[in-house]
Amino acid sequence: MAQDDLDRILFGEQEIMPSSGFVAEVMAAVQREAVAPPAIPFPWKRALPGIAAAVSAVALVLGSLLMGAKAHGPTLADLPPGVTSVLHVAHQMGAGWIAIALVISLVSVKLATGLAVGRT
Amino acid sequence: MSGADDKADVVRVLAGDVSAFTEIVRRWQGPLVTLAYRFCRDRGRAEEMAQEAFLRAYRGLAQWRGEGAFSTWLFALATNLYCTELRRIPARAVPLELITEPRDAHRHDAAYEQADTERVVRRAVLALPAKYREALILFYFHDMDVAAASASLNIPEGTVKARLARGRDILRKKLAPRLFAPMVRKEA
Repeated sequence: MAQDDLDRILFGEQEIMPSSGFVAEVMAAVQREAVAPPAIPFPWKRALPGIAAAVSAVALVLGSLLMGAKAHGPTLADLPPGVTSVLHVAHQMGAGWIAIALVISLVSVKLATGLAVGRT
Repeated sequence: MSGADDKADVVRVLAGDVSAFTEIVRRWQGPLVTLAYRFCRDRGRAEEMAQEAFLRAYRGLAQWRGEGAFSTWLFALATNLYCTELRRIPARAVPLELITEPRDAHRHDAAYEQADTERVVRRAVLALPAKYREALILFYFHDMDVAAASASLNIPEGTVKARLARGRDILRKKLAPRLFAPMVRKEA
Protein backbone atom coordinates (compact mmCIF):
# COMPACT_ATOMS: atom_id res chain seq x y z
CA MET A 1 0.00 0.00 0.00
CA ALA A 2 1.51 3.33 -1.05
CA GLN A 3 1.85 6.19 1.39
CA ASP A 4 -0.30 8.30 -0.92
CA ASP A 5 -3.14 5.80 -0.51
CA LEU A 6 -2.81 5.86 3.27
CA ASP A 7 -2.69 9.66 3.30
CA ARG A 8 -5.72 9.92 1.02
CA ILE A 9 -7.80 7.52 3.11
CA LEU A 10 -6.85 8.82 6.54
CA PHE A 11 -6.76 12.49 5.59
CA GLY A 12 -10.04 12.39 3.72
CA GLU A 13 -12.22 11.50 6.70
CA GLN A 14 -15.32 13.59 7.20
CA GLU A 15 -15.97 15.61 10.35
CA ILE A 16 -18.52 14.07 12.71
CA MET A 17 -21.45 16.30 13.55
CA PRO A 18 -22.46 15.99 17.21
CA SER A 19 -26.09 15.23 18.00
CA SER A 20 -28.46 18.19 18.28
CA GLY A 21 -28.63 18.13 22.08
CA PHE A 22 -24.89 17.95 22.59
CA VAL A 23 -24.32 21.61 23.48
CA ALA A 24 -27.24 21.56 25.91
CA GLU A 25 -25.94 18.41 27.60
CA VAL A 26 -22.45 19.86 27.97
CA MET A 27 -23.79 23.13 29.34
CA ALA A 28 -26.04 21.28 31.81
CA ALA A 29 -22.96 19.47 33.10
CA VAL A 30 -21.02 22.74 33.22
CA GLN A 31 -23.85 24.46 35.12
CA ARG A 32 -23.90 21.59 37.65
CA GLU A 33 -20.16 22.02 38.02
CA ALA A 34 -20.53 25.78 38.45
CA VAL A 35 -23.07 25.56 41.27
CA ALA A 36 -21.35 22.68 43.05
CA PRO A 37 -19.51 23.74 46.20
CA PRO A 38 -15.75 23.95 45.74
CA ALA A 39 -13.71 20.94 46.73
CA ILE A 40 -12.57 21.00 50.33
CA PRO A 41 -8.84 21.76 50.32
CA PHE A 42 -6.47 19.55 52.26
CA PRO A 43 -6.17 20.99 55.78
CA TRP A 44 -2.44 21.62 55.71
CA LYS A 45 -2.53 23.91 58.75
CA ARG A 46 -4.14 21.26 60.92
CA ALA A 47 -2.07 18.42 59.50
CA LEU A 48 1.23 20.26 59.80
CA PRO A 49 1.83 19.52 63.54
CA GLY A 50 1.13 15.82 62.94
CA ILE A 51 3.42 15.69 59.91
CA ALA A 52 6.14 17.55 61.82
CA ALA A 53 5.80 15.14 64.75
CA ALA A 54 6.03 12.13 62.44
CA VAL A 55 9.10 13.49 60.67
CA SER A 56 10.73 14.31 64.04
CA ALA A 57 10.00 10.80 65.32
CA VAL A 58 11.54 9.20 62.25
CA ALA A 59 14.57 11.51 62.50
CA LEU A 60 14.90 10.68 66.20
CA VAL A 61 14.80 6.93 65.55
CA LEU A 62 17.28 7.15 62.69
CA GLY A 63 19.58 9.42 64.71
CA SER A 64 19.47 7.10 67.71
CA LEU A 65 20.21 4.08 65.54
CA LEU A 66 23.11 5.81 63.82
CA MET A 67 24.63 7.02 67.10
CA GLY A 68 24.18 3.63 68.73
CA ALA A 69 25.71 1.92 65.70
CA LYS A 70 28.71 4.24 65.83
CA ALA A 71 29.27 3.54 69.51
CA HIS A 72 28.72 -0.22 69.87
CA GLY A 73 26.37 -1.48 67.24
CA PRO A 74 22.63 -0.80 67.14
CA THR A 75 20.46 -2.22 69.92
CA LEU A 76 16.88 -1.56 70.87
CA ALA A 77 18.01 -0.42 74.28
CA ASP A 78 19.64 2.64 72.66
CA LEU A 79 16.27 3.93 71.50
CA PRO A 80 14.12 6.28 73.60
CA PRO A 81 11.66 4.39 75.86
CA GLY A 82 8.60 5.61 73.89
CA VAL A 83 10.03 4.32 70.65
CA THR A 84 10.97 0.92 72.09
CA SER A 85 7.41 0.40 73.42
CA VAL A 86 5.99 1.29 69.99
CA LEU A 87 8.39 -1.14 68.32
CA HIS A 88 7.46 -3.83 70.88
CA VAL A 89 3.74 -3.42 70.15
CA ALA A 90 4.41 -3.39 66.40
CA HIS A 91 6.41 -6.60 66.76
CA GLN A 92 3.59 -8.25 68.70
CA MET A 93 1.07 -7.24 66.01
CA GLY A 94 3.26 -8.70 63.28
CA ALA A 95 3.81 -5.29 61.68
CA GLY A 96 6.75 -6.66 59.70
CA TRP A 97 4.58 -9.22 57.96
CA ILE A 98 1.88 -6.66 57.32
CA ALA A 99 4.45 -4.35 55.76
CA ILE A 100 5.81 -7.16 53.57
CA ALA A 101 2.25 -8.10 52.48
CA LEU A 102 1.50 -4.47 51.61
CA VAL A 103 4.70 -4.13 49.59
CA ILE A 104 3.98 -7.36 47.69
CA SER A 105 0.40 -6.20 46.97
CA LEU A 106 1.64 -2.82 45.75
CA VAL A 107 4.24 -4.41 43.48
CA SER A 108 1.64 -6.87 42.09
CA VAL A 109 -0.86 -4.09 41.33
CA LYS A 110 1.82 -1.90 39.70
CA LEU A 111 3.08 -4.82 37.63
CA ALA A 112 -0.41 -5.85 36.50
CA THR A 113 -1.35 -2.26 35.64
CA GLY A 114 1.88 -1.78 33.73
CA LEU A 115 1.35 -4.97 31.74
CA ALA A 116 -2.28 -4.11 30.99
CA VAL A 117 -1.40 -0.58 29.80
CA GLY A 118 1.54 -1.88 27.78
CA ARG A 119 -0.69 -4.26 25.83
CA THR A 120 -3.04 -1.57 24.55
CA MET B 1 -12.92 30.26 14.24
CA SER B 2 -11.28 33.27 15.77
CA GLY B 3 -8.72 33.22 18.53
CA ALA B 4 -10.00 36.60 19.69
CA ASP B 5 -13.50 35.15 20.15
CA ASP B 6 -12.09 32.32 22.24
CA LYS B 7 -10.09 34.73 24.37
CA ALA B 8 -13.08 37.02 24.93
CA ASP B 9 -15.29 34.08 25.93
CA VAL B 10 -12.68 32.71 28.30
CA VAL B 11 -12.36 36.11 29.97
CA ARG B 12 -16.14 36.26 30.40
CA VAL B 13 -16.31 32.74 31.85
CA LEU B 14 -13.49 33.48 34.27
CA ALA B 15 -15.33 36.63 35.33
CA GLY B 16 -18.28 34.45 36.33
CA ASP B 17 -20.43 34.41 33.17
CA VAL B 18 -20.83 30.64 32.78
CA SER B 19 -23.14 31.07 29.76
CA ALA B 20 -20.18 32.37 27.73
CA PHE B 21 -18.85 28.83 27.74
CA THR B 22 -21.74 27.90 25.42
CA GLU B 23 -20.02 29.74 22.58
CA ILE B 24 -16.81 27.82 23.20
CA VAL B 25 -18.72 24.54 23.13
CA ARG B 26 -20.57 25.53 19.92
CA ARG B 27 -17.33 26.54 18.25
CA TRP B 28 -15.34 23.43 19.16
CA GLN B 29 -17.93 20.65 19.47
CA GLY B 30 -17.36 19.39 15.92
CA PRO B 31 -13.57 19.06 16.14
CA LEU B 32 -13.62 17.58 19.65
CA VAL B 33 -16.28 14.96 18.82
CA THR B 34 -14.54 14.16 15.53
CA LEU B 35 -11.21 13.67 17.28
CA ALA B 36 -12.83 11.47 19.92
CA TYR B 37 -14.57 9.45 17.20
CA ARG B 38 -11.27 8.79 15.45
CA PHE B 39 -9.93 7.38 18.68
CA CYS B 40 -12.86 5.09 19.48
CA ARG B 41 -14.99 4.71 16.28
CA ASP B 42 -18.11 4.83 18.44
CA ARG B 43 -20.36 7.86 18.09
CA GLY B 44 -21.97 7.62 21.52
CA ARG B 45 -18.68 7.15 23.31
CA ALA B 46 -17.13 9.96 21.26
CA GLU B 47 -19.76 12.40 22.50
CA GLU B 48 -19.28 11.24 26.09
CA MET B 49 -15.52 11.71 25.83
CA ALA B 50 -15.92 15.13 24.19
CA GLN B 51 -18.34 16.18 26.93
CA GLU B 52 -15.81 15.19 29.58
CA ALA B 53 -13.13 17.13 27.67
CA PHE B 54 -15.28 20.27 27.71
CA LEU B 55 -15.97 19.80 31.41
CA ARG B 56 -12.27 19.52 32.15
CA ALA B 57 -11.60 22.55 29.98
CA TYR B 58 -14.16 24.48 32.02
CA ARG B 59 -12.56 23.38 35.29
CA GLY B 60 -9.05 24.24 34.09
CA LEU B 61 -9.86 27.37 32.10
CA ALA B 62 -7.75 29.54 34.41
CA GLN B 63 -4.72 27.43 33.49
CA TRP B 64 -4.82 28.67 29.91
CA ARG B 65 -2.53 31.68 30.05
CA GLY B 66 -3.44 33.05 26.66
CA GLU B 67 0.11 32.74 25.31
CA GLY B 68 -0.67 30.09 22.73
CA ALA B 69 -3.86 29.52 20.77
CA PHE B 70 -6.85 28.39 22.83
CA SER B 71 -7.39 25.57 20.33
CA THR B 72 -3.86 24.22 20.96
CA TRP B 73 -4.55 24.11 24.69
CA LEU B 74 -7.99 22.57 24.19
CA PHE B 75 -6.75 19.88 21.79
CA ALA B 76 -3.86 18.99 24.09
CA LEU B 77 -6.29 18.62 27.01
CA ALA B 78 -8.73 16.56 24.93
CA THR B 79 -5.97 14.39 23.46
CA ASN B 80 -4.60 13.65 26.91
CA LEU B 81 -8.08 12.66 28.11
CA TYR B 82 -8.87 10.54 25.03
CA CYS B 83 -5.54 8.70 25.18
CA THR B 84 -5.99 7.97 28.89
CA GLU B 85 -9.59 6.87 28.35
CA LEU B 86 -8.69 4.59 25.43
CA ARG B 87 -5.84 3.05 27.37
CA ARG B 88 -8.24 2.42 30.26
CA ILE B 89 -11.04 0.98 28.13
CA PRO B 90 -9.70 0.22 24.63
CA ALA B 91 -11.84 0.65 21.54
CA ARG B 92 -13.23 -2.58 20.15
CA ALA B 93 -10.32 -3.11 17.80
CA VAL B 94 -10.01 -6.25 15.73
CA PRO B 95 -6.45 -7.64 15.52
CA LEU B 96 -4.72 -6.60 12.30
CA GLU B 97 -4.51 -10.21 11.15
CA LEU B 98 -8.30 -10.60 11.27
CA ILE B 99 -9.33 -7.28 9.78
CA THR B 100 -9.55 -8.08 6.10
CA GLU B 101 -11.03 -10.93 4.21
CA PRO B 102 -9.80 -11.92 0.77
CA ARG B 103 -11.47 -9.87 -1.91
CA ASP B 104 -14.35 -11.29 -3.78
CA ALA B 105 -13.01 -11.73 -7.28
CA HIS B 106 -16.52 -11.55 -8.72
CA ARG B 107 -17.29 -8.23 -7.15
CA HIS B 108 -16.38 -5.34 -9.43
CA ASP B 109 -18.22 -2.53 -7.75
CA ALA B 110 -15.46 0.10 -7.54
CA ALA B 111 -17.28 2.31 -5.04
CA TYR B 112 -17.94 -0.66 -2.78
CA GLU B 113 -14.31 -1.74 -2.95
CA GLN B 114 -13.12 1.78 -2.22
CA ALA B 115 -15.40 2.09 0.80
CA ASP B 116 -14.34 -1.35 2.00
CA THR B 117 -10.65 -0.47 1.70
CA GLU B 118 -11.15 2.74 3.64
CA ARG B 119 -13.05 0.93 6.38
CA VAL B 120 -10.33 -1.69 6.68
CA VAL B 121 -7.54 0.92 6.85
CA ARG B 122 -9.34 2.89 9.56
CA ARG B 123 -9.95 -0.20 11.63
CA ALA B 124 -6.32 -1.19 11.16
CA VAL B 125 -5.24 2.15 12.63
CA LEU B 126 -7.24 1.33 15.77
CA ALA B 127 -5.43 -1.99 16.07
CA LEU B 128 -1.99 -0.33 16.11
CA PRO B 129 -0.03 -0.06 19.37
CA ALA B 130 -1.18 3.04 21.26
CA LYS B 131 1.78 5.32 20.60
CA TYR B 132 1.67 4.82 16.82
CA ARG B 133 -2.13 4.99 16.73
CA GLU B 134 -2.16 8.28 18.65
CA ALA B 135 0.48 9.86 16.40
CA LEU B 136 -1.36 8.82 13.23
CA ILE B 137 -4.78 9.98 14.46
CA LEU B 138 -3.47 13.38 15.55
CA PHE B 139 -1.37 13.90 12.41
CA TYR B 140 -4.31 13.36 10.07
CA PHE B 141 -6.74 15.17 12.35
CA HIS B 142 -4.50 18.25 12.21
CA ASP B 143 -4.39 18.20 8.40
CA MET B 144 -1.04 16.42 8.33
CA ASP B 145 0.65 19.09 10.46
CA VAL B 146 3.41 17.49 12.54
CA ALA B 147 3.85 20.58 14.75
CA ALA B 148 0.16 20.62 15.69
CA ALA B 149 0.16 16.88 16.36
CA SER B 150 3.25 17.30 18.49
CA ALA B 151 1.60 20.11 20.51
CA SER B 152 -1.53 18.03 21.08
CA LEU B 153 0.43 14.98 22.16
CA ASN B 154 2.92 17.07 24.15
CA ILE B 155 5.89 15.22 22.67
CA PRO B 156 8.75 16.48 20.43
CA GLU B 157 8.16 16.75 16.68
CA GLY B 158 10.98 14.28 16.02
CA THR B 159 9.21 11.68 18.14
CA VAL B 160 5.96 12.26 16.24
CA LYS B 161 7.77 11.82 12.91
CA ALA B 162 9.42 8.61 14.10
CA ARG B 163 6.10 7.22 15.35
CA LEU B 164 4.36 8.18 12.13
CA ALA B 165 6.99 6.42 10.06
CA ARG B 166 6.82 3.29 12.21
CA GLY B 167 3.01 3.33 12.32
CA ARG B 168 2.72 3.67 8.55
CA ASP B 169 5.30 0.95 8.10
CA ILE B 170 3.27 -1.45 10.26
CA LEU B 171 0.08 -0.55 8.39
CA ARG B 172 1.67 -1.07 4.98
CA LYS B 173 3.13 -4.43 5.96
CA LYS B 174 -0.09 -5.68 7.50
CA LEU B 175 -2.51 -4.33 4.93
CA ALA B 176 -0.71 -4.73 1.64
CA PRO B 177 -0.95 -8.52 1.25
CA ARG B 178 -4.59 -8.69 2.31
CA LEU B 179 -5.87 -5.70 0.42
CA PHE B 180 -3.87 -5.89 -2.74
CA ALA B 181 -2.41 -9.35 -3.18
CA PRO B 182 -5.57 -10.96 -4.61
CA MET B 183 -5.94 -8.06 -7.00
CA VAL B 184 -2.32 -8.44 -8.12
CA ARG B 185 -2.82 -12.15 -8.65
CA LYS B 186 -5.90 -11.47 -10.70
CA GLU B 187 -4.09 -8.88 -12.80
CA ALA B 188 -1.18 -11.29 -13.33
